[in-house]
Amino acid sequence: MTVLTVLLSLAAGAYLIAVLEGWAVHGRLQPARPVISALALLGRESLLARKPDRLFFEVGPVLLLVAGLLAVAVIPLAPGLIVTDLATGALFLNAALAYVLVALIMAGWGPNGAYGMIGGWRFLGQFVAYAMLVVMPITAVALRAESLSTVDIVMSQSALWNIAYQPLGFALFIAAAMGLCWLPPLDLPTAPGDLAGGIEAEYTGVRLAVLRLARMVVILALAGATVTFYLGGWLGPWLPAWAWSGIKILIVAGLMVSTGRLVPRVREARYLELSWKLGIPLALINIFVVGVIALVVEI
Amino acid sequence: MIFELMIALTVGAAMFGTGLYGVLSQTNLVMIIMGVELILAAALVNLVAFWRYLHPEEPAAQMFVLIIMAVMAVEMTVGFGIAIARFRSRGSVEMEEARELKG
Amino acid sequence: MIVPMIFLVFFGGAAVWFGVVVFRTHSMVRSALALLFSQTAVGLMFLVMQAEFLGVLQIMMMATEMSVMAIFMVMFMMDPGGLGAMDMTHQKRLSLWAGGIGLGAALAVIWLADWGPAGTDIPGAAQQTEDLGRELLGRSMLIFQSAGLTILTAMVAATMVAIAPAKEQPK
Repeated sequence: MTVLTVLLSLAAGAYLIAVLEGWAVHGRLQPARPVISALALLGRESLLARKPDRLFFEVGPVLLLVAGLLAVAVIPLAPGLIVTDLATGALFLNAALAYVLVALIMAGWGPNGAYGMIGGWRFLGQFVAYAMLVVMPITAVALRAESLSTVDIVMSQSALWNIAYQPLGFALFIAAAMGLCWLPPLDLPTAPGDLAGGIEAEYTGVRLAVLRLARMVVILALAGATVTFYLGGWLGPWLPAWAWSGIKILIVAGLMVSTGRLVPRVREARYLELSWKLGIPLALINIFVVGVIALVVEI
Repeated sequence: MIFELMIALTVGAAMFGTGLYGVLSQTNLVMIIMGVELILAAALVNLVAFWRYLHPEEPAAQMFVLIIMAVMAVEMTVGFGIAIARFRSRGSVEMEEARELKG
Repeated sequence: MIVPMIFLVFFGGAAVWFGVVVFRTHSMVRSALALLFSQTAVGLMFLVMQAEFLGVLQIMMMATEMSVMAIFMVMFMMDPGGLGAMDMTHQKRLSLWAGGIGLGAALAVIWLADWGPAGTDIPGAAQQTEDLGRELLGRSMLIFQSAGLTILTAMVAATMVAIAPAKEQPK
């Protein structure tokens, strides 16, 4: 029952985000567009490259979808509305999202094409940049909640949301999250300008539909994670709990897919330099500050 | 007889055997590192099995697992550091061509 | 009692099978990812054995480590895609004997030893994580710190070894 509810809300969320992304890219709000393009993709022929690594080619998009769904499984939408409340939920989210990298490497290597392969390995470099910045802000969040369970993390924010408690961590986490779901300006693995679609270049038909859907799921999972860790999850006045988490997740995901397009694409080397020389010291400072506050003040 | 422990240890033994075969038979440094990783993974299985079925009240057993994971990371870092240096100077990481390292 | 055994056999079989695939496939990327799935199966075995934190940690860490492994394979191999079906092994007979003897000796010890009574009260997942944290920052702090320091030293040393030597300036 819970699983069905979560899956249905996930589908609705993916649809709304697809509409929003279309609006951000093309400047027109077309509610029918995702349906039409999905149908078009399903009806189109699925081409196969020459001498592909067939196993990776087929498994890549599916693994991406599975990784996204597993990440969604530990995000609470309302009290009791969570697929599985693990005691190590925050860590499990990381573990599931680590397989986004594996899926993209598979999808890049599989079709035996230069653009795809460069896109896949580029994402590995990108991973080196964002990985620590996903984990370290979550450490600070868990520090305050004194638990890794996502439900406990939401409950710990009843007095003050983490976005006010640790704004530095929030900024770092959202930047890393944009890198994780390869949204502009960090869309290096697909990079429409210089890689001709990158990992998406060799995918057509049903497989491309799965790949795009999986990416929507990953975006929603990360928006859900941001809301859970920093924006108080389902907490809020007047409205019921599920409505609050729905609204917050949609706003965060909408901002993630639309605002980045206003910034020029970041070069890989520059991104690595920024995250290691600036991001990681800031994340360490964040952990230290949160630890001191948690010891001194009782919020 | 604790059959679950036996099964887990048997898996560990099989992974150890496979890893040992790989380490001895492969000619490429990276493949040798993969064999070592398999052997260390076998050690991990054994440690967790010992913790779970013999001493579940002892958190130090879990700490050993973390140390082994650290060892895996260190082994990879150092191995790849050496591999890069060797590839740069000799253009290959084939161990058959590394006779001059023999004492 | 029987259900965890079935899962242990299943995931253990997967771990060993993928471990064998590592050395049997010609494609280097496949080889690295087979190792990844072997390690993931090990992580799933941890989950079956109720070591939740360690299982999730193993699954997370190995995804990264083995992806890095994959790119090094592609960098250093002559034939990363495995289309040429090169033979990259030596002393096969000796290795098979060594692996077989190691396996046989371990199996003999495992199946002949008397393991004594099984531990019974397994702490819950949250309790385990807390115990582990207290262990790491209490009694075992020195060991943990030296492990961290070892990683740092290894990182610095490996980077030093790997950096290209600067070209000498002509005088």
